[in-house]
Amino acid sequence: MRVRELGAEIARDYAHREPILVGSLKASFVFLTDLSRSMPMLHALDFVELAGYGSAQMGGHEQIRVLKDLDADIAGRDVIVVEDVVDTGLTLNYLVRTFELRAPASVAAVTLLDRPYRRLVDDLPVRYVGFVVPDELFVGYGFDLDERWRQLPDLRLVRDASPHET
Amino acid sequence: MGQPDIGDLQANQKFQKYLGTEPPRFASRAELECAKVLDYYGIPWLYEPRTFVLEEDEDGRVREAFAPDFYLPEQDLYVELTVMKQSLVTRKNRKLRKLRERYPDVKIKLFYKRDLERLAQHFRLDLAS
Repeated sequence: MRVRELGAEIARDYAHREPILVGSLKASFVFLTDLSRSMPMLHALDFVELAGYGSAQMGGHEQIRVLKDLDADIAGRDVIVVEDVVDTGLTLNYLVRTFELRAPASVAAVTLLDRPYRRLVDDLPVRYVGFVVPDELFVGYGFDLDERWRQLPDLRLVRDASPHET
Repeated sequence: MGQPDIGDLQANQKFQKYLGTEPPRFASRAELECAKVLDYYGIPWLYEPRTFVLEEDEDGRVREAFAPDFYLPEQDLYVELTVMKQSLVTRKNRKLRKLRERYPDVKIKLFYKRDLERLAQHFRLDLAS
């Protein structure tokens, strides 16, 4: 399975270090869990959640807002941001810039899905990619559609009203 | 009650990351939303800062020109927003191809309605329409 390969690759690259995996909620939580269990090494886990543009939580804010910040101090730590998908890169760009202000040893990102052809911000530390995917909507494996379908064990492609197995 | 006029909508809008000197005058609601998205994610931007000549006649008169909607200085990237149907996107793609041929050092990308909707978390609206 691709996630296991990613875990092994990260474990090789971060040998003798103890990185902190930072899951960007919510959709990455299943991927983060599997990735963590695929990394035979010491590592820490933390989570961050941003209010998406136009979301109910945004409450009229015109600038991005952190709904849940890190619990850990990342100064001097190797941070690996765990994303469900990177497309325009706007969200990851914000996270990386924010984390870099906290003087970590390094910041990298791993994403389950990638749409590099949709990127607006290119200069991102996306070191590990699960799958480059077409410009389609997916649910399952943590991905939702209106907070539904996250529980599906595998990724499904949404073609119309209901998700199909990929 | 009709849709609010684009002029009314942008009259009250204050942008944090707009780098221009004159207030932007957007041509559509989608462009305004795109500007708000860029602002929200802290990306500095300009609105239609440059017009590219794509074609001239034998006397040097401009036959075709193109002003991309946005320029992102930190990315050195022009962005053309499109919310149109596929046939019109094809026309825009042709313009982009011409621009790339004539200005190979200029980076430009199309920003689709779907990108905007993903960021705006409006999947349901898109799927229902």
